[in-house]
Parts: sequence; structure tokens; C-alpha cells
Amino acid sequence: MESFSYKTFLVLGLLFWSSASAQDAEKDKLQGMIDATLDVIYSETHASLSANEKQAEVREKLESSYDLDVMIRYAIGKNWRRMNTIEQLEVLELVKKLVLKAYVIGLEGKDRPSVTLAELTKIGKARIEIESTMVLDDKTYCILYRLRQMESGWQIYDIVAENVSVSSNYRGQIDDHFRKGSAADLIARLKGLLAKDEINEDTKI
Amino acid sequence: MKTQKFKRPLAWASLIGVLTVTTLTAQVRNLTEDEAFFYEEVDESADVYDPFESVNRFTFVFNDFVFSNTVQPLVDVYTAITPDPVEEGASNFFHNLRYPVRLASNLLQCRFKGAWVETGRFAINSTFGIVGILTPADDYEGFAPIKSEDVGQVFGAWGIGEGPYLVLPFLGPSNLRDLAGFFGDRALNPLKEPFSAVDDWKWERQLALSGTGYIARSPQITKRYKQLKGSSIDPYSSLRNSYAQYRRGAVAE
Repeated sequence: MESFSYKTFLVLGLLFWSSASAQDAEKDKLQGMIDATLDVIYSETHASLSANEKQAEVREKLESSYDLDVMIRYAIGKNWRRMNTIEQLEVLELVKKLVLKAYVIGLEGKDRPSVTLAELTKIGKARIEIESTMVLDDKTYCILYRLRQMESGWQIYDIVAENVSVSSNYRGQIDDHFRKGSAADLIARLKGLLAKDEINEDTKI
Repeated sequence: MKTQKFKRPLAWASLIGVLTVTTLTAQVRNLTEDEAFFYEEVDESADVYDPFESVNRFTFVFNDFVFSNTVQPLVDVYTAITPDPVEEGASNFFHNLRYPVRLASNLLQCRFKGAWVETGRFAINSTFGIVGILTPADDYEGFAPIKSEDVGQVFGAWGIGEGPYLVLPFLGPSNLRDLAGFFGDRALNPLKEPFSAVDDWKWERQLALSGTGYIARSPQITKRYKQLKGSSIDPYSSLRNSYAQYRRGAVAE
């Protein structure tokens, strides 16, 4: 009985330790990705890059850690079935580019934000949330990263900035679009948005 | 013996078949799990009751036209001629003036700590911060900035539903609850009617004060609005969703 208790505690201890270190590893991976992308936007070595080059570089850094398709597919939701294979791939690529463009241009021209990751919370069997605070221009913003265990490992499927979920926002827009429009219209709209040099450039609604 | 010989390969084939089917089924199940995840409904906070969508969309386009042709040029001139510290000072000044709204909204939700922090910030910023132009309270322990409260949030905290989504001419996104809250904010604001604390408060002066306050707040708002438009497939839908999520989060906090 004594031996059984000892072994049980040992096993539980090992499980707890491995789970805690796995969680720390996820936090480290996320922090590393955030730092790497901010380096591209703010470091002197990347200052000479054009906006498109910066976006490409940021994409490379992001994709070396996470599969961006997961977040975009989650944002597209059931509308995925309304498109044929070619349209699916094109929309996936265009939305990805748009999100990256908004991210890079949204941060440019400001002081480098400091991002601190807080607690990791387990949400059910295969989901975790990592809270973070971003200090940008003397203002503090709460940003939540939602990750899910996929076949390819832990992947970010949503980012919630100041209570606004990016995936939910795009899902709502795409749902609304498909109530009246087609996949071809969506592709045309996305291409139109990407054709503008600046995200701040006035856009026809 | 002959039968046994025949049976062995059959048994092996069956075993391999079962294993193959099991493996394939497992793979299909895994794939389906990931696929099912992509198709699942997102958080219910995305749902917005919008029975007046056609009218709202029309008002949204109208507001966008007014914004692009009136507010934006004014904001461009304002930001061009005003140094950043002055812009920030003006924004701080008008924020400080809305202290009574924040105080009452905190008290009505029994957020006594929030009321205390707002009061301390108002006292420090109004005196050491030269009528609220500067924000020295940021450096005092326990008086760091907190999220602003308003009457719409009070109604939300009291359990009043948000009602239909509305786009108000000139004012932008709202809902029935926040529209009522907007009038509540005005009633609590000592510089605005109907309960203005200033005697002989002529409408020209009120308009000038409101207009200046609006422009002082606008540079940040215009930038965010343009970014939202530039990165949205459907800007109306995006703003509606962002507004609903933001306000729901503010009420829940």
C-alpha cells in the first residue's frame, strides 16, 4: 500500500511537472513569436524594408511558430463550404495578407509596445488562453491569445484585443457578406482592400 | 489441415483489414475533429440584434459621408497645427470635465473603489495638473487610470438588455440601452443641458464647447475608424460587431 502511494504520488508529480513545463513552453513560444515580429517592425536592422517586405518578414516569423491558416479558417467558419477549392485557397491567402497588413501598419509610426504575458488558463481539454498586457503610447491594452491543440500542435485560433475578438469580428463580416454576395465578390473586395498602399487610405464603404 | 492453411491467411487478412480500417477511422475522426472546430459557432457575443439593419446601413453611409467631408478635414487641420502635447492636453482637459459622469456611474454600480480612484484623479489632475490638462495622478500610487464608466454600463450592470442595435446620425454606433445612457450622461454632466450648472449658458457657447471637445477626442477615433474601414470586408458589420463586443466586455468587467 505504501509502495502504491509512493508510486502514485511520483506519477502524479511527474504528470504535473510535465504539464507545467509544457505550459511554460507554450508561453515562451508565444513570447518569442511576439518579440520576433516586433523586432521586424521596430528594429534598426529592418528600418530600410518597404511595407510589403516588412509584412512578408512578419509573416515568416509568425509562420515559423504558428499555422496562420487555423485562425483564418476559424474566422471563415461554415462559409468555407460555400467556396470551391480554388476560391478557398485564394480567400485564405487574401485574408491572411489583409490581417498581416492591418497588424503591421497599425503598429508602425508608434513607439515599440512592451508586451507581457500573464497567466495561462486551461479552457477544457484542448484549449488554453494566454492573457497579456500591451503598453503602447502610454496606454495599457489587454490582449488575450486563444490556442487550441490541433493535429499540428498548439495553434492560435483567436486574438481578443480589449474584449473584441478578431475571429468573431471577421466571422460576422463574412457571414454578412455571404447572405447576399458570392465568393467571387469576396475575392474582389479583398483584392481591392489589399491594392491600397495604406490601410489608413480612405476606403469606399 | 488443409482448412487450417486456408484459414491462416484469411485470419491475417482480416486482422490487417481491421487494423487498416481502425487506423483510417482514427485519422478520419481526427480530421473531423479539426474540421468540426473550424465550423463551430463562435462566442455568442458575436450575435447582435439588428432589426433596423437597412436603416442603420443607410445612416452608416450618411455618417461616413459627413465624417469624410466635414470631421476629417477639421481633424486634419487640427492635428496639423496642434503639437502633440497640446492635442493630448486638450483631450485630457475634456476627459477631466466628464468626471461627474464617471463618479456617478461608479457609485450607481457600487464600485466604490472606482469612485475613489476617479475622485482622487480629478482632485490631483485639476490642481497639480492645471485644470486637467496634465495627468500627474498617473504617477501617484493607487490612482493609475482606470476604465471609464458611463450610464449605459450602469444600465447593463443592472441587467437591462441592450435592445436593438442603432446607428445614430452624427453619433455613430449605439443601441437602445446606450442611447438612454447617452441622455443619462448628459443629465449628469454639469456643463450640459438639461441640468447645466452654468447660468445663462447660451447655446452658441455650449455648441462651441461640445464641438471643441469632439474635435479634441477625434484624432484617435478617426485613425481607428479609417483603419477599421481599410481592413474590413464589410465595415458596417465590423463596426457593429466590435461595438457590441466592446460594450459587452465593458459591462461584464
